[in-house]
Amino acid sequence: MTFGILFVYSATYNNDLFASASWLRQPHIKQIIFYGAGIGIAFIICLKEYNLLARWSYVFYWLSIVSLVLVLIPGIGSVRYGARRWFDLGFTQFQPSEMMKVAFILAMAQFLSRPRGELKDSAVLFKGLGLAALPFVLILLEPDLGSSLMIPPTALAMMYLAGAPKSFIKKLIGGIALFAVIILSYVFFVPKDWKPIQLPDYQKRRLMVYFGADYAKQYAGPGATRAEIRQARAMQQQDSYNVVQAMISVGSGGLTGRGWKQGIQNIYGYLPRGVAHNDFIFSVIAEESGFVGSTLVILLYGTIIVVGIRTARRSRDRLGKLLAMGVVTMLFCHVFVNIGMNIRLVPVTGLPLPLLSSGGSSVVCSLMTLGLLQNVRLHQKTI
Amino acid sequence: MNSPGGNREKDRRLYGVGGLLLAGMGILLAGLWYVQVVTALNYVQDQETQSMRTVRIPAVRGSILDANGRPLAYDRPMYVVNAYLEELRHHFRQEWKRNRPKGTMTREDRGALEIAVRYLVVSNFTAQLNLDQPIDVTPRKMQAHFLGQRALPLPVINNLSETNIARFIENSWKVPGLEVEVVAKRSYPSLSVAHIVGHLKRDNSDLDESVRYNYRLPDYTGKLGLEKTFDGYLRGQPGVRSVLVNNLGYRQSDYIPVPPQPGSNVVLTLDLEIQEAAMKALNETEGKGAAAVVIDVNSGDVVAMASIPVFDPNQFTPGISHQLWNSYLAARPSPLIFRATQERYPPGSIFKIITGLAALEHGLNPTNQIYSAGYYRVGRRRIEDTAAPGHYDFKRAFKKSSNTYFIHHTLEEGRGIKPIINIGQQLFLGQRTGLLPGQEAKEQFPTMAQVNQGWSDGDTANIAIGQGPITVTPLQMALVTATVANGGTVYHPRLVDRIESPDPNLQPHALRFPKGKKRGQLIVRPENLAIIRDAMRADVADDDGTGKRARIEGYEVCGKTGTAEVRSPSEGRYKITWFASFAPFKNPRYAVVVMVERGVSGGRTCAPAARKIYEALIERDKKTGLARN
Repeated sequence: MTFGILFVYSATYNNDLFASASWLRQPHIKQIIFYGAGIGIAFIICLKEYNLLARWSYVFYWLSIVSLVLVLIPGIGSVRYGARRWFDLGFTQFQPSEMMKVAFILAMAQFLSRPRGELKDSAVLFKGLGLAALPFVLILLEPDLGSSLMIPPTALAMMYLAGAPKSFIKKLIGGIALFAVIILSYVFFVPKDWKPIQLPDYQKRRLMVYFGADYAKQYAGPGATRAEIRQARAMQQQDSYNVVQAMISVGSGGLTGRGWKQGIQNIYGYLPRGVAHNDFIFSVIAEESGFVGSTLVILLYGTIIVVGIRTARRSRDRLGKLLAMGVVTMLFCHVFVNIGMNIRLVPVTGLPLPLLSSGGSSVVCSLMTLGLLQNVRLHQKTI
Repeated sequence: MNSPGGNREKDRRLYGVGGLLLAGMGILLAGLWYVQVVTALNYVQDQETQSMRTVRIPAVRGSILDANGRPLAYDRPMYVVNAYLEELRHHFRQEWKRNRPKGTMTREDRGALEIAVRYLVVSNFTAQLNLDQPIDVTPRKMQAHFLGQRALPLPVINNLSETNIARFIENSWKVPGLEVEVVAKRSYPSLSVAHIVGHLKRDNSDLDESVRYNYRLPDYTGKLGLEKTFDGYLRGQPGVRSVLVNNLGYRQSDYIPVPPQPGSNVVLTLDLEIQEAAMKALNETEGKGAAAVVIDVNSGDVVAMASIPVFDPNQFTPGISHQLWNSYLAARPSPLIFRATQERYPPGSIFKIITGLAALEHGLNPTNQIYSAGYYRVGRRRIEDTAAPGHYDFKRAFKKSSNTYFIHHTLEEGRGIKPIINIGQQLFLGQRTGLLPGQEAKEQFPTMAQVNQGWSDGDTANIAIGQGPITVTPLQMALVTATVANGGTVYHPRLVDRIESPDPNLQPHALRFPKGKKRGQLIVRPENLAIIRDAMRADVADDDGTGKRARIEGYEVCGKTGTAEVRSPSEGRYKITWFASFAPFKNPRYAVVVMVERGVSGGRTCAPAARKIYEALIERDKKTGLARN
């Protein structure tokens, strides 16, 4: 059943991808190959029971951590768009942070599936937190804020479901909230030349765009000349270009859309070509197929989530349940942030839409996580 | 393994997280609903403003046609080579790469090279077409187009000749981005109607338009003549072309949501053949400035109305050069004045038609003779007479144009100026006809108010022979002659017969101007008009008549010559010569008035020109079968 959904998925969305890629034939062919590979790996994952796989989870986890460290070393990792996120494998590029997400879910589930009694021990809990914090920090260093931010909510949900004490969870949420407040107040209220901690400038600007802050105030200051203000405004316009164009794309799709391959925003280059087929794929889908199409996309993701929750409920042990919910939470976070940024619900951040965005690592790894989910489903024992 | 209670607890947590996730999806769905359905229209508009460019396309201007449908002014197709920048973009880039110097460039250098490269690409491609016409754009003009109107094609060669069209079609496969297209060029095939038809002027104002356009294709408005008066009908409704552009402003596709509505045609009463005959006749006189008017005496319809010298209205589109315009302004006699209506002339002896009529109405017996000494003395002033001394009755005085006779019968016997003013006012002298708004001078004619304060017999004597404070236009005199010919009906002159759609199906619904609209009625005894007509016939038919050079065998032309002296401080003394006439004598049909500045005399200069015009009119009537009656 899940596979059925998967295929429907790849079918519907291959079409849309094709549209986005009509200017360059390569990506959609590549995408199909990656689907093949991803589904193959998912099959292989399903062959063995998940509890057998979970035994290797720490090995997998540490391997991923090593690759994350390696990618940071100049000369090994390759740089694109100012971030060191990729291994250049010649025929394609590989993004270890995507692999890390799978490894993290697996390791975290394995770690948390220990007897519930042990979870009351704060040492164990902090070890679990460390398991999450390590990849979080490493991915953040690349820098890839979007991907790194996927880890804390997943970790939180998994710990909660594993049965960690409520007080601990509350403290954790409080801590994350406090951190967010600090970051925001830093962005908006600390003068730009205050040195001690420097958030990358583009991150800061993205947040400002999201909250609709006036660049002129932040960058030019009160005593600014007209030229400076104009410059700041120009910068603001440039920075908000992607979001504005994505909004226009999604909005102008209307109820039924312009039709496949008819997206003006996409064809005529208003949506930047660099991101239209990956991070902003949703705006292409939305423009071309309208509200009907985007609802379909949401419903399909929703189906996966519902299926995942049911799988978790029926699973024979806690490992299965945690795996299933880890996968579902991670998927949800991606979908929510990615689609959310297209309609300005959340700030823009570089994050693929699982299964839809073009990009090998993302597709393969997303399919791997769904393979895990399917594995739990296949090997559940009816109670 | 676990306690049931623990399970329940965990299930609650599971449902909690699950519910949260699904709620998140719900929020996304709601957000999408808001963006894509509730506020979709805003985004559609934003999308359009950033990717649509509207272009105003002028309509095909209506034609001005003569009575027989011959074009006097029309939009002729002109072939233009257009360069489509979006198709050349790729070549611009390649050429740029080839020309780029090593090392860094300053911003200015870069900009200059970009311009040069684009120009090079366009001129190279054009050269491959093997045309023998050079390209019309300069790098500067091209850059301006590139920056301001990137979405529109750039006209590279205007006015392509026929051979070059053929060459283009032969060679166009070799080069990308160049197309031959048709645009409208206003064309005036006959210069003889230049003043009547007028000319255009470039007009890119958008004052009275509610729609804002991104671009406007060149449009013109009537500046003079009928082109101006009927601009609203001729112009039609402009259309809109929407051009879809990409993020760099290059054209991607276009469509026309509002097609332009072509303008209506204006059909005149004028006959181009007669007009050209009149023009030719005027050019064959010795005068440099002259006019001729031909009207239908039974309706006031203008058959021809010519004036020399002329300007060339073709030169006004797309724009007249300063040099040519200044030469028009400086030329003497001025080609910009329409002498049939726009200049005031002393009528001289042709005014004796009115003087005579006034006298006859007030008891003059045409058979009574008086003796003329060859001059007339008013106070201390002596008015010379070109007619020899001798005895004169009305007819003899009229055909020999005796000043003495007409002054005598005006001043003596107590008639005075009043009857002349009365007749003149009934003929609307001193008032514009309204035929060509903006191109008509106001004639002078004395009023009773003027006469009542400081009027002398000398003034009356002057008026009696068409001199002094009286001026007329040739059109005005043609209307007077027509009234005499038709038995006293004063018609409004009519030049435009109808305004009709260019679509033949809609032509029955044309806007028609009524024929033969009466302006007034001359209240005189018909037998007196007959006496005038008879005298006019004698002036041409008799060998001692001054108008004998207008005579045509088998066609009774009736006329009156006139020669008025003008003294101008700048140009010295010269003569305005006239011939006012109608024909045929029985059932008159046409009135022809010829006026030549600096002619020798009305009889020598104007009568032969009138004869040539009548010959053309006879031909016209033969064709239409009217000659039989």
